[in-house]
Amino acid sequence: MKSKKITEKTVTITAAIGSILIVIMLIANTYWASRQAISSTNQAVSAVSAFYLESMADRRAKTITNLINNNFDYMEKAVSVIDDEKIESQEDLRAAIGRMRRLLSLNGFALVDEDDIVYTQYTTYTGGSRYPFLANKTLDSKMISTVFIYGSSKELFLAIPIDIKIIGKQFKACFVQIDINDIVDLLAFDDQESTHFALYSVNGGNISETELGTLIGKSNIFDATKGCVSEEKWNSFRDDFANGKRGALTFTINGVVDTICYQPVPDTGWELVVMIRESVIQDQIQEISEKSLRTNHFQIVFLLVVATLFSGILFFMMRRVANNKLDEEKENSKAFKSMANTDSLTGVRNKHAYMETEAQLNSWIREGAVEKLAVIACDINGLKYVNDTKGHAAGDQLIKDACALICNLFNHGSVYRTGGDEFIVLLSGKGYDTKDEVIAAFNKQVEENIGTDDVVVSIGYSTLQPNDEQLHDVFDRADQMMYARKKELKSMGAKTRE
Amino acid sequence: MSNKIKNILRKFVIVALSLVVAGTNSGYSADTEAKLGDTSSIVDFEHNLDDYVPAKDHYNFYFTYKIVHPWWDAVALGMEDAQKKYLEKGITITYEYMAPNAASYEDQTKRLLQAQKGNYDVIGVDVADEAKISPVLDEMVASGSKVMTFSSSDAAPGCKRIAYVGNTHNYQDGADLTEALCKKLDYKGKVGILVGSHGAPCHEDRAKGAKDTIAKYKNMEIVAVEYDMDSIDKAYELAKQMLKDNPDIAGIVCCNMSNPVGTARAVTELGSNTVIVGMDHDKEALHYLKDGVIYCLGVQDCYSIGFDTLQVAVKIADGNKPGVLFPDKTDENTTIIYQEDATPMLEILYGDVSQ
Repeated sequence: MKSKKITEKTVTITAAIGSILIVIMLIANTYWASRQAISSTNQAVSAVSAFYLESMADRRAKTITNLINNNFDYMEKAVSVIDDEKIESQEDLRAAIGRMRRLLSLNGFALVDEDDIVYTQYTTYTGGSRYPFLANKTLDSKMISTVFIYGSSKELFLAIPIDIKIIGKQFKACFVQIDINDIVDLLAFDDQESTHFALYSVNGGNISETELGTLIGKSNIFDATKGCVSEEKWNSFRDDFANGKRGALTFTINGVVDTICYQPVPDTGWELVVMIRESVIQDQIQEISEKSLRTNHFQIVFLLVVATLFSGILFFMMRRVANNKLDEEKENSKAFKSMANTDSLTGVRNKHAYMETEAQLNSWIREGAVEKLAVIACDINGLKYVNDTKGHAAGDQLIKDACALICNLFNHGSVYRTGGDEFIVLLSGKGYDTKDEVIAAFNKQVEENIGTDDVVVSIGYSTLQPNDEQLHDVFDRADQMMYARKKELKSMGAKTRE
Repeated sequence: MSNKIKNILRKFVIVALSLVVAGTNSGYSADTEAKLGDTSSIVDFEHNLDDYVPAKDHYNFYFTYKIVHPWWDAVALGMEDAQKKYLEKGITITYEYMAPNAASYEDQTKRLLQAQKGNYDVIGVDVADEAKISPVLDEMVASGSKVMTFSSSDAAPGCKRIAYVGNTHNYQDGADLTEALCKKLDYKGKVGILVGSHGAPCHEDRAKGAKDTIAKYKNMEIVAVEYDMDSIDKAYELAKQMLKDNPDIAGIVCCNMSNPVGTARAVTELGSNTVIVGMDHDKEALHYLKDGVIYCLGVQDCYSIGFDTLQVAVKIADGNKPGVLFPDKTDENTTIIYQEDATPMLEILYGDVSQ
């Protein structure tokens, strides 16, 4: 399988797309998490609220039950104490009732004799029409009832049968009358106005006269909620009251959702109803949610900005790195190319470079684009002799000296070392125009060097002729001339191979 | 909510009631069509003691009234309110508030004479029979007892009792109720009258007011006058018999608290269209008023009667006589209410209409 080459661009695009996808996923995840948190919070609050309401209703119902039981216990105790006291007159009896009332906090504590005459701390009165329970000759067991007093005050009436004889009268019952307002105060003790509560009779009448929120207020709870819930739920709600059952009801009045929990207060016929307005909770939750969302939005925006900046910087850095790498590679390429075209010993261009130039020039020659071109063929005399007699280091030095001589004089030409002792100089432009003087000067210098045993270089030259097809044609003529010159210089005393 | 605030709210309801109901009528008014009088209240539950400073820190009273009946239970509540307010001032008031199960001048006489032997600062009585009781009261006063009358029935004119607190216009109440009935009946038709106890001034005065009013209209006729002896059951039986004996009876005037309840039961049972007018604030009667069975009721301010009775008793106990501190007769209001007033009245008096 042929593997496709992964380019830098591919990597960059992949990185960019990947980054965007990660950012999108991060944002989506953050948003989803925030929504999920809000939803979970709502559910948790609802659950806690319901639990809180049920717990509150239960606790308050028990408070009333405890109050009732305590009063029953205290009444029995009070009667027992009064029975043991030496009471000889109505004044003594009133004093005893007053003491018990005060000591045991028995509100409206009173004894009732067999003639239905009621004895309190301050008054004695005929109570047959005032207390319905006196309609019966005897009271068989403890009695709890709600009394609606002329003037609209309401009281919880608790009575127990007794059987004592004082000041010659047989007493059949005693009772206390607890003002509903006192019970409300008792129930409201731990209420921090976060909830509403009210006591209701079986038919939904508000007994406590406490407001169950602003919408239901003190109205009959059935009247207030009718039409706010389904007929089925409403009927069930009424049935629960009638049957002394506990339960909960969520309803909407004027677009506001309320939840109530109701709990029967045993033996009283009352239902204790507590309510938390859901809108209050929801407002609080909404406030928290909005704050959370604002934070999330800020986080998302912040994340986007940071991600964008980071991506920009990353992209910029990648571009920089890529460009640097490219430049470095170009430099390396250039160096390699330079190394490939340069003669390591002399520093001038080598045969490879000459071949590249020759190919280029051949192309130009064929196109007729070159008019002035001269080729100087150079060969060092006596290199073998020096190598053999003085060593390769001396030979190398000789090459360098020869190159220096060539470069110094043909300073307007391109110098190539094409062999061990061979150089070629290409002349064009000014180099071409001054070739005759330079060649003459070169040959004169060489001839002088023979006498000083200095470097001797044989040169031959030729210029581009109209019928030349390639550079090599020019070079051949220059090379022949160089060999002729080499012989001539030998005759002048220059050293040769031989 | 405190009692004070509740009382203010009740006042507000009463004032509002007074404002929205057109027309007025007081216990003295001859305009029987007027509703809920000029007075700001029908029943005044908010009372404060006056500036009088009692001479003692403890008083002991004895009160007796005609019959064990819710009407006097309402009076008792006013008394208890005053007693509590005195107690807050450091003045202890103890009292007995007693009545027989059946109205009886003999029983009342017996109670009064027994009370005379007791250590009471003042003896108060709601006169069961003015002819029989007034001489007893005169003897008691002559022997040094401080005697007052209260609630619905004063003693006979000239009686030496010290003062009276209660309804002073029973005759007019009877006349006003009957006038309302006559107008409703377009001043024609047969009318029956139910009275309470024989000799009870309040009942007899109302019955007289009723009779005199009927007599004004030539097309009206009284076909029956019966006494229920303050028993609802007896009122029911009497009304039923009255309706059977006079199938064309157009209206019944009820002169006490038990009359209208018993009559309404009978009218309802027989499916009669007879128009009922009656007295007082019985809860059942108010429901009948709400339902349109009873046409109108004359409501007395029992609470104020009780409260003022105790205040006057304290002043009498201190040796005061009628004059600047209290009048010979302390009058209390009666207001005629109609069907539209029944619900707020039930709310005001009993708190929960639906109970």
